[in-house]
Amino acid sequence: MSTTPRTTTRRTSTRRGARARAAIGTGLASALLLLTACSGPTGADDLRLEAPEPTAEEEAPAPSSTAPVECEDPLASYAPEGDLPAPGSLPSGSTMAEIRERGSLVVGVSADTLRMGSRNPLSGTIEGFDIDVLHEVSRAIFADPDRLRFRVITSGQRIEVLENGDVDLVARAFTINCERWDQIAFSAEYYHAGQKVLVARNSDAQGIDDLEGERVCAPESTTTLTRLEEYPGIEPVPAATHTQCLVLFQQGQVDAITGDDTILAGFAAQDPYAKVVGEAISDEPYGIGIPPENVDMVRFVNGVLEQMVADGTWADLYDRWLAELGPAPEPPEPVYGRAP
Amino acid sequence: MTSTPVRPASPPVQGAAPPHRTDPDPGGADPAPAAASTGMARARGALRRTPGQLRLVLVLCVLATLVVGLLGFQAGRVQSSALEAASADSAQLVGVQEVRNALVAADATATGSFLVGGLEPTEQRARYDDLVDTAAAGLAELSGSNAADSELLGQVASDLTVYTGLVERARANNRQGFPVGAAYLDQASTILREQMLPALDEVVVDDADRVAADFSGVRNALWVLAGALVALAVLVVCQMWLARRTHRVLNVGLAVATGLILVVGVAGTIMLSSASSRAHDVRDGPYAATLAASQAYSLGNDAKSMEAFTLIKRGSGQSYEDAFVEATADAAERLDTAQSDGVLDDTTATALDDWVAQHAEIRALDDGGDWDAAVELATSTGEDSPNAAFAAFSDAARADIEAGAAQTRDDLASAGTTSAVAGWLLLAAGLVAALLAWRGVTARLEEYR
Repeated sequence: MSTTPRTTTRRTSTRRGARARAAIGTGLASALLLLTACSGPTGADDLRLEAPEPTAEEEAPAPSSTAPVECEDPLASYAPEGDLPAPGSLPSGSTMAEIRERGSLVVGVSADTLRMGSRNPLSGTIEGFDIDVLHEVSRAIFADPDRLRFRVITSGQRIEVLENGDVDLVARAFTINCERWDQIAFSAEYYHAGQKVLVARNSDAQGIDDLEGERVCAPESTTTLTRLEEYPGIEPVPAATHTQCLVLFQQGQVDAITGDDTILAGFAAQDPYAKVVGEAISDEPYGIGIPPENVDMVRFVNGVLEQMVADGTWADLYDRWLAELGPAPEPPEPVYGRAP
Repeated sequence: MTSTPVRPASPPVQGAAPPHRTDPDPGGADPAPAAASTGMARARGALRRTPGQLRLVLVLCVLATLVVGLLGFQAGRVQSSALEAASADSAQLVGVQEVRNALVAADATATGSFLVGGLEPTEQRARYDDLVDTAAAGLAELSGSNAADSELLGQVASDLTVYTGLVERARANNRQGFPVGAAYLDQASTILREQMLPALDEVVVDDADRVAADFSGVRNALWVLAGALVALAVLVVCQMWLARRTHRVLNVGLAVATGLILVVGVAGTIMLSSASSRAHDVRDGPYAATLAASQAYSLGNDAKSMEAFTLIKRGSGQSYEDAFVEATADAAERLDTAQSDGVLDDTTATALDDWVAQHAEIRALDDGGDWDAAVELATSTGEDSPNAAFAAFSDAARADIEAGAAQTRDDLASAGTTSAVAGWLLLAAGLVAALLAWRGVTARLEEYR
């Protein structure tokens, strides 16, 4: 990436700038002190405002290494052990038993991704394909699908909440890859998505290759944004969440949005002047994120997923939430073989 | 400036002739003032004669008394206009903070009604509309009443149209069940917090600086007293000279003028000083109370919308809760300081504490995993609800602000009246004393005709 050296110089110069500004700030503050010493209280004194402290310049995040982390097979997860235990007979001392003891399954989800995980403004509940998968896990632990305790997170927070152990599971259009396996664990693939683009209804673009020179929005800290860098003619515009991208698109601040077809389908459903075009430019295998130490939980979730496929729940959920993407495909074949 | 050469004001003096010291007779006709003799010389000659000296006394006394009158008038005028400006500028400041509070409260209402889910309650909608109306009307009025603020306030007014537009888009999407509505609401809040409120805070500081400058313009009037003392000295010296020269102990005109300057000079100084110390008291009293209550109210409103955001973010709102704690702690500290300074009673501070305690119950529910119960408590409007506690705090703070602002205005107005009266009194006394002095000395001068 040609931007790396430039970023570095900018960082050093901002730091120098910050120091100079801090020095000026201190100088000004002492000058003010002198002035106030001889001219009585000022307006700021009457308002009892504290002199603004020179704020430390925020460190720019280190440019992430663009070299992809290699591993044998990112899709390989931990195989389930035997049959799925009944809710009443969870192995004692297991993560699942602890969760049952606690009374609720804490899950990190999206509240603004229509179809996958979004808050229904009418009922106030969070619903979608990802959410229903979590309801199935809750059913397997508690014999009650509604023992979920939601934690609404952004894409950028997914890894962090798992590493901190703040949640038991993350189901938030979460692509399995080698780099993430270094930090957390994933279930087997439960949905196969692909990255596409959403453009205005009157656009001639047939795919991402036709967007040369245009502004394309993607959320921060996602594989989607990283992949945009492979198209040097495109001007990437990061946003805090994917839905913020839709706001920017509707306000004409970006020309297109790229993202997984699942997410874009939800956008198109909210905006009749938008359409999803082109073939998928990537494979986005979705997995459920789990804290890396909870291997038993990974095996358990994989068991739940297998059961969902076997008893037809998976196909029902697809038809309920994602039918707009076409007829239900074959559910992804789980891959195991990872050793803890 | 004209560039035409100008003749020297006085012709060059040819060897400035010394006065005729050989002819000391004052009455003697100086036959022909030589071309060399100047006006200066003639004046010096006149001063050696009693009528000339009397005329000098006349001029001195009239001038001294007139100066006292004019000085006093000027001091009174400067002081009363500074007090008037302080009153106007502090009213402007309170007005700007009212607009700020209305905006923050409007945002808290919009955010809160989103929290309820489903159809927005009618009374919430009406409250939001009222608050936006208040803010818009306030902005127009405040831009008109102070030109210095109008640029920043104009910016805020134009941002307000963007803000309301975004809130309406959020509503329209919400109404169709589209989650993008929440993103519009987020963007609206960001504009409010990152553009509008900082601009208003800047105006508040500008206004506070102007009030501070106005207050420091209300100076102690001791220099009026100094002027009066100089005038008194002149009058007394002149009377002593007159008494010696005319063998009359009392010159009634000058004596009355002296008395008048003495009495009115002292009285005027006392009045001006009392107005200035009154202004000082207002600054430390009702003005400080108004500022403390108004800032606490702003912080409370900020915290109220943070409470809603903490719940909307559902588990990821810790930074909003931190902001809540910071804002309410700051508000409590300001109220406590005002209370220990004796300018505010504890009503508002107690109401704030009550509300913060109720807020803790919401947090306990949410942190304990019962988000639905937390939302229900946060949005209920029952008698013992957190919303009722917040309303009680709002009412108490608003009452403090209104009372403080009214007292500031009244006290500054009455101090201003005192200053103006003192100024006019001193002017009148100076004029009358000048007239008396003129008459008193002229009577002596007549005797030389």
